[in-house]
Amino acid sequence: MAEVVLEHIEKIYPNTEPKKKKKPKKGQPAEPEKKSNLKITDEGVVAVEDFNLKVADREFVVLVGPSGCGKSTTLRMVAGLESITRGTLTIDGVEMNDVAPKDRDIAMVFQNYALYPHMTVRDNLAFPLKLRKVDPAEINKKVEEAAQILGITQFLDRKPKALSGGQRQRVAIGRAIVREPKVLLMDEPLSNLDAKLRNQMRAEIIKLRQRINTTFMYVTHDQTEAMTLGDRIVIMKDGIVQQIGTPQDVYDHPANIFVSGFIGVPQMNYFNADLKKDGDTYSVLVEGVTIELPEDKQQRLRENGVEAQPITLGARPEHVSIYDGKGDQSHMLSGVVDVSEMMGSEVHLHLNVDGQDVIVIVPTTDVNFTFEKGALDVGKTVKFTFSGAVVHLFSKETEENLEYKNQEQHTFDL
Amino acid sequence: MAEKAKGGLEAESKGLIVLSVILAIICIIWVLPMVAVVINSFKLNTFVKTETFALPTAESFAGWDNFIKGVTLGNYNFWLATWYSAFITIASSALILLFTSMAAWYIARVDSIFCKVVYFLCIFSMVVPFQMVMFTLSRTATQLHLDTPWTIPIIYLGFGAGLAIFMFVGFVKSIPLEIEEAAAIDGCSPVRTFFNVDVPMLRPTMISVGILEIMWVWNDYLLPYLVLDVEKYRTIPIFIQYLKGSYGTVDLGATMALILLAIIPVIVFYLCAQKYIIEGVAAGAVKG
Ligand SMILES: Nc1ncnc2c1ncn2[C@@H]1O[C@H](COP(=O)(O)OP(=O)(O)OP(=O)(O)O)[C@@H](O)[C@H]1O
Ligand SMILES: [Mg+2]
Repeated sequence: MAEVVLEHIEKIYPNTEPKKKKKPKKGQPAEPEKKSNLKITDEGVVAVEDFNLKVADREFVVLVGPSGCGKSTTLRMVAGLESITRGTLTIDGVEMNDVAPKDRDIAMVFQNYALYPHMTVRDNLAFPLKLRKVDPAEINKKVEEAAQILGITQFLDRKPKALSGGQRQRVAIGRAIVREPKVLLMDEPLSNLDAKLRNQMRAEIIKLRQRINTTFMYVTHDQTEAMTLGDRIVIMKDGIVQQIGTPQDVYDHPANIFVSGFIGVPQMNYFNADLKKDGDTYSVLVEGVTIELPEDKQQRLRENGVEAQPITLGARPEHVSIYDGKGDQSHMLSGVVDVSEMMGSEVHLHLNVDGQDVIVIVPTTDVNFTFEKGALDVGKTVKFTFSGAVVHLFSKETEENLEYKNQEQHTFDL
Repeated sequence: MAEKAKGGLEAESKGLIVLSVILAIICIIWVLPMVAVVINSFKLNTFVKTETFALPTAESFAGWDNFIKGVTLGNYNFWLATWYSAFITIASSALILLFTSMAAWYIARVDSIFCKVVYFLCIFSMVVPFQMVMFTLSRTATQLHLDTPWTIPIIYLGFGAGLAIFMFVGFVKSIPLEIEEAAAIDGCSPVRTFFNVDVPMLRPTMISVGILEIMWVWNDYLLPYLVLDVEKYRTIPIFIQYLKGSYGTVDLGATMALILLAIIPVIVFYLCAQKYIIEGVAAGAVKG
């Protein structure tokens, strides 16, 4: 049993000196949301604001968000490497705010592995056990076991410098799991690896998870990792939690425009639109085309008492369909193909719709067989549409999802 | 084009030759005094002054006489001086390594005004010439009873701290903080983190600093001369200096022999340690 509860956790870095720019991480492209808008109070920079989360036993929770949003800070507060300015942290019902890291029964995997360079892999794995005065025979057994799980048995007598990045990361994970901690914390463990190795290690973490009974908290800035690994995802921005939910949940019901754009590749398309209300029936007018909404959406909008208003309409690229020349085309929007990216099994079409970029995913087989030859070439005008069932309606004013207006219910998880 | 390149190469090799010659001359000038010491330590005293750079001949060769004379003559026991020298050197270097590495760790890891001030004081202490403080030093040392071989390492600690802390701080800063954080999570107290995790990584710097300090303290003449009660306590450099007093005249042959004896341990030590410096630097170049 290891349940981690973060209640109203807050982190404020006292700004005694002008805010230091943290050194940029290598191998990580500059993200467009790079500039952070952290709140600055009299006390200092608010890196994490009112964080509420209850991580259940053996749950895998992923913290995700753009650079500088406070993911690492949150994780380090759980680890005890960073003091907690306000709020309470409990692990298994015991308050941990002022407990030393070594007494919290947690383990952590760092982005740059942080192995002890002067020790062999075996000694690296054994070190935490030795410090806990475990019996040498027992240590040996556990080290062998962990090495077995991670497939590093043949490297046990090497020094870390004689290992590749992927092998080092395995050793780092091994060192973390060898003493069976209650909570396993991982801070971007895969972001120093190349793309192929990252996919492989991601799969191994999923397998690892099934073999050990531990609660996981995992930090990443990569939404794919978050979606594939997490039981639940916590999406953060500028120190504030945007949404907490299962991967399906955050994909289907993003709480606001930020979340909808952060989850899903390629990014969601946005249109300026108008929400119309005719008696009890809502509909959306976008680019002169009316889109009918299904009953469940109507219901939720009615419950929230949403008025007719200008909105931002979101539609995921995978939900946009191109008119293939069959059937009714009166409810179609149209755009000019700007760029056509061949991804293998699918093609990403970038359409120019009134100066706005709209991305559409088309299966490659469709491009080749369903459409007329050359119909989707660059410069051609195509018609497209999306079903009212999959669109997302965001308030222009607050950027929040009009169907799930109550922000609390997404971010307050206790 | 090809010709030009060839000309360039030729000019380059010509330059190299000139450079080699210059360096060779500098080398010779550099080692000449040492060669003189070696040659003269095997010559009879009377020949040292007249034929300084000549190799010993059958006539001037003294065999091991100079060494025996140097060690046995004089009103002070040579072996006692050796013992004091060795003790002061080892104790001072050990103190410096232990305390400055810990201090440097604190300075590098704790970001406070106090640390910055201490650090700059250390840097500053490196540029203050010893001659500026030596007279006040000898008085203060006497008042504080630091004038024995057992306490003089404390004074050496003070004078050696500047350079040692400067070198250690630079290296500690290059150790990723995450390694220490990992150690804290794995179950190390801060002190344990330092000794179990940082010290092994600091080894190359420890060895370089250790070599510098050992050579400095072993060869140092002025500080012990000013601080110690020279009637009671003599280190080897002081012993050599006092050799003339016992005789009235200076026995140059014996002096040379003793100088040779005094530098042999340092040279041997340096040759042994060099291997570790290279090995250590290579190991330190790779981060976890
Ligand atoms: N010691 C500090 N003093 C002041 N501000 C700090 C300090 N450490 C971090 N911050 C700020 O707190 C914010 C959150 O940092 P944090 O490291 O948690 O970001 P992150 O989400 O992990 O980002 P990344 O993806 O780049 O690792 C950043 O904007 C950072 O500038
Ligand atoms: Mg981070």
